[in-house]
Amino acid sequence: MNEPIRMFIADDNRLLREGLASMLEQQQDIIVIGAAASGSEALEQIKDLRPEVALIDIGMPDKDGIEVTQTLHQDLPEVKVIILGMVDLTDEIMACIEAGAAGYVLKEGSFERLVETVRSVHRGESFCSPEMTASLFSRIAELAGERMPEIPKSSIKLTGRELEIVNLIAEGLSNKEIAHRLFIATQTVKNHVHNILDKLQLLTRLEAVQYARERDLLKNKNT
Amino acid sequence: MQTIKVLLASRPKILSEVLRTMVERQPDMEVEGEVLDPIDLLFVVRAMPVDVVIVTPLEANQEPKICSHLLADHPHLKIVTVSAKGNAACLYQSGGDKKRLDEASWQSILGAIRESINQNHKGKKSWSK
Repeated sequence: MNEPIRMFIADDNRLLREGLASMLEQQQDIIVIGAAASGSEALEQIKDLRPEVALIDIGMPDKDGIEVTQTLHQDLPEVKVIILGMVDLTDEIMACIEAGAAGYVLKEGSFERLVETVRSVHRGESFCSPEMTASLFSRIAELAGERMPEIPKSSIKLTGRELEIVNLIAEGLSNKEIAHRLFIATQTVKNHVHNILDKLQLLTRLEAVQYARERDLLKNKNT
Repeated sequence: MQTIKVLLASRPKILSEVLRTMVERQPDMEVEGEVLDPIDLLFVVRAMPVDVVIVTPLEANQEPKICSHLLADHPHLKIVTVSAKGNAACLYQSGGDKKRLDEASWQSILGAIRESINQNHKGKKSWSK
């Protein structure tokens, strides 16, 4: 059998700390080599004991879980940190990940999930619950959107043909009808529409019409 | 051997699981049940005779309001409060008795439960078999 996972627990709640240590010790593949009631004490002991996995409560006196994780990630990156959090707050989870945590489990989660997380991070995986993963992905998508450099739309030039097609879309014509009107193949219209959306970084024909309308690019049929 | 019947009403879930495991490891104690919302305690204790209720109060050192209601209806009952943060724990009994359990260790909590139940046996009513 493989060597048991050497684990450390830091939580200011004595009942939880000692109870979890005792329950984790019952797992054949886990051994708890130390525990601490504060962030500073945890850092001191972890530097001496060198556990493979450290379970760190997010809200401890003196140094909180994020500070402890940052220090460990910098000084002892081989120690995998799992944060024990109270609430499912995306920003808090993001802060833990940025600090270098490999896992995040909620105190509202089960002991079974905690054990599963310990094993996962020990294998080198990052772990958080499926519920948290969904909110994390949303937040990451938001951040990606904020970081994406916006192309100034004024610098985008549509060709005469493309403008003509946008105008016909605005009239409500389908690709087939546009093709018929312009004496070109439907596939050619599709290619033009594709290029227009690509240039303007838009997703739909309707957005392209809206874009043209806002910039007075549509011919007024009444004039 | 007399068995001390315990009802859990504690949160968060992981603390509740730890409490259950630690109580069940005691040869003279058993967990009779668990309620998610302390408000349900009034009804559950009426239907399920227990000796001890373990509750997690919202404020570490504050007596949960439900304590006085429970003790008024069930004077034999012992209520232990354990905080989810820090190390505060208390044992409440009828007659306004309150015992603060310093450092809230397993030993101090389990010891206080046994001691108070033994006092019950000497004079007061208990549900223990």
